[in-house]
Amino acid sequence: MNRPANLFSQSIKATFAFKLRAFFCIISVALGVASIVIIVAAVEGAYKKAFDIVEMFGPDAVIIVGGNDEARAVGGNKDKTITLEDVKAVRESFACAYVVVPVSMVGMTTVFHRDRKERTFIIGSDHNYSRAWSWPVVSGRDLAKEDVKRMKNVALIGRYLADELFEDKDPVGKYLFAGGLPIRIAGVLKERGTTPRGHNMDNRMVVPISTAMRKMQNEKKYVSMLRVRFIDQNNLEFHVEELRMFLRQRHRLHEGEPDDFMIISPKEIIKFLVALTGSLVLFIGIAGITTLVVAGFVLANLFLLSVKERTREIGIRRAVGARQQDILFQFLGESVILTTAGGLLGFVTGFFSSKLLVFVAQFPICFSWKAFAAGIVMSWAVGIVSGLQPALHAARLNPIEAIR
Amino acid sequence: MPFFLMENITKTFNLAAEEVQVLKGINLEINRGEFLAIMGTSGSGKSTLMHLIGCLDVPTSGRFVLDDREISHLSDNELSLIRSRYIGFVFQNFYLLPYATVLENVSLPTLYDEKKTDNKKKRVIELLKQVGLEDRMGFKPSQLSGGQQQRVAIARALVNDPELILADEPTGQLDDKTSREIMSILSKMHQNGKTVVVVTHDADVAGYAQRLIRITDGMICDQTL
Repeated sequence: MNRPANLFSQSIKATFAFKLRAFFCIISVALGVASIVIIVAAVEGAYKKAFDIVEMFGPDAVIIVGGNDEARAVGGNKDKTITLEDVKAVRESFACAYVVVPVSMVGMTTVFHRDRKERTFIIGSDHNYSRAWSWPVVSGRDLAKEDVKRMKNVALIGRYLADELFEDKDPVGKYLFAGGLPIRIAGVLKERGTTPRGHNMDNRMVVPISTAMRKMQNEKKYVSMLRVRFIDQNNLEFHVEELRMFLRQRHRLHEGEPDDFMIISPKEIIKFLVALTGSLVLFIGIAGITTLVVAGFVLANLFLLSVKERTREIGIRRAVGARQQDILFQFLGESVILTTAGGLLGFVTGFFSSKLLVFVAQFPICFSWKAFAAGIVMSWAVGIVSGLQPALHAARLNPIEAIR
Repeated sequence: MPFFLMENITKTFNLAAEEVQVLKGINLEINRGEFLAIMGTSGSGKSTLMHLIGCLDVPTSGRFVLDDREISHLSDNELSLIRSRYIGFVFQNFYLLPYATVLENVSLPTLYDEKKTDNKKKRVIELLKQVGLEDRMGFKPSQLSGGQQQRVAIARALVNDPELILADEPTGQLDDKTSREIMSILSKMHQNGKTVVVVTHDADVAGYAQRLIRITDGMICDQTL
C-alpha cells in the first residue's frame, strides 16, 4: 500500500468512528445538494421542454401575427394588420424563404356529420399548410392550389376530429357541415397529440384560406398570421430583422412608431419558456445556496471541534512518523468523504423530491449526468472549503503539546 | 562513534515574554544496544530531554548527532521521517487510538513508513505473539486491561523495527505485578539488540537499566554505571 491509500483508509476509519459527527455533516450537506440537484434538473427540464416545443414549432420557422401587445391591451380590432398583399409581397421578395403560408383563424365552430357534432378549431390556409408545419397528411390528399383558387369546400381534419365524427370509418370523401357549408373531407392530418397546456392539436379542421375568409368570415383583406420558413436556419435572426423592416416599410410605419405586428421566432419561444420556470429556479437556488453555506459552517465547526477532541490522536500519529501533510490530508479526506456521502444522499433526495414536484406542479424536470455532477462538485467544494481550516489547524499542532 | 550524541545541548522556551532555559548544556552519549534510564523530578527538564531524544523537538543550541547525522536543524518533515525510522515510543498513558482495533493500532506506524515491506501484516501478528496478545487482535483498547494496552503500545513501538525504544514512564499507570511484566518485556527487547531509553522517577524501573543518569535543574548531575 502506498501513502495516499493509507491516509485514505485512515480517513474512512475515522469517518465511521465518529458517527454523530458524520450524521450531522451528511444531513446538512444532503439538504443543500438536494436543492442544487433539483435546480439543475429543473433548468435542464425547462430547456429540454423549450427545445421540444421549438422542434415542433420548427427551428427554421417564424410566425408573424397582426397587432402587438399594446394594441391588444387597449382593445379594438387593431390586430388585423397583415394583408393578403403582404403575404404575396413576402413570398415574392424573400427568396430565402421556402414556405410562406397565410393563416386565417376562424375559431371554435360546431361541425356536424349526420347525428354527430363536435366543436372544433377551424383554420384557413393554403396548399402549403402541411409543409409549413411539417404535419403530414396520412390519408386522402393534401389541399391543392386549385382548392384555394376556386374557393372549394374541402378540408383537412385532425385525427381527433376524424375519430369523433367518423369513428372507425374512413372520413376521406365524406361530408360534414360547418357554419352551414357542406365541406368534403380531402385528407386526415397525422396525430400530433396534446400540447403541455392541454390544447388538443388534433381537434382541428383546415380549409382553403379563400373559403375561410370569404365564406366563413366575410373578410377580403386581412389574414390572422403568416408562417414563414427559411432555408438557412443559422441566419434566422438576420432574416427576422429583414422581414421586420420589410413589413414596417409596407405598413408605412415611421421611425419611433411601434411595430403593428409581432414576429415569433424559436428564440422568443425559448426565452418565454425559460422565463416561466426562472422564478421557481431562482427561489430554490437561493434556498439551496443558503443551505449549503450553512452546511459549510456547521461542517467547519464540527471539524474544528473534532480536531480539538482528537488532539491526542494527532500527537500519537505525529510521534509515530506522520508528517504535517499526512495529518492535513487525513482530516481533509474525512471532510470530503462526509460531504461526498452527503452529496450522494442529496442527489437521491433531490431525485425523489423532484418526482414529487413534477407530480404536484407539472414542473418540467430532466435528470442527466449534469445534475449528478453539479451535486457532487458542490459537495466536494463544501468539503474542501470548510474542512481546510480545521485540517490545517490539526496539521500545525505541535506534537509535544498534542501528546502531553 | 556512539549511536546517539548530544554535545552542550541547550533548550530555551519563551514563556510569557520571559525566556526560560530548561536544558543548560547537556552532554550525553548513548551507544547502540544500551539500556539507559533517565531519572529526574518534575520540572527538572527530563521531559524536554526526552522530546529531544525522541526527535519531537530540536535544541536551541548544541550538537545533536543520530546515527552519524547532524539532526539539530532538521525540518519538521525530516524529523517525522527520522521518528518513523529510528524511534519507537512507549507512553505512560499508552496512547492508543480508541476507535482502532489492536491490530490497527500496532500497524499505525507502518502507514507513515517510507520503506516498502510486503509482510507488514505478518510482522504485526508476529509482534502481537511476542507480547502475548495474538488472540486480542480485533479488540478495541477499551476492552483491554492497562497491562495489555501497554503491551499493544510496545508492539506498536517495535513495528517499524526502530533502533531506539523510548519509554516515558511506561509503568506509571500500572500495578507492581504488571509493571514487572512490562519491564521484563522491555528488557527482552534490549536483549534482542534494541537500544532502550526509559524516562522514569521510579527507582525500581530504573533498576532494569545498565546505566542511569539523573537530571536536576537542566543538567546531568549524576551518571551511574
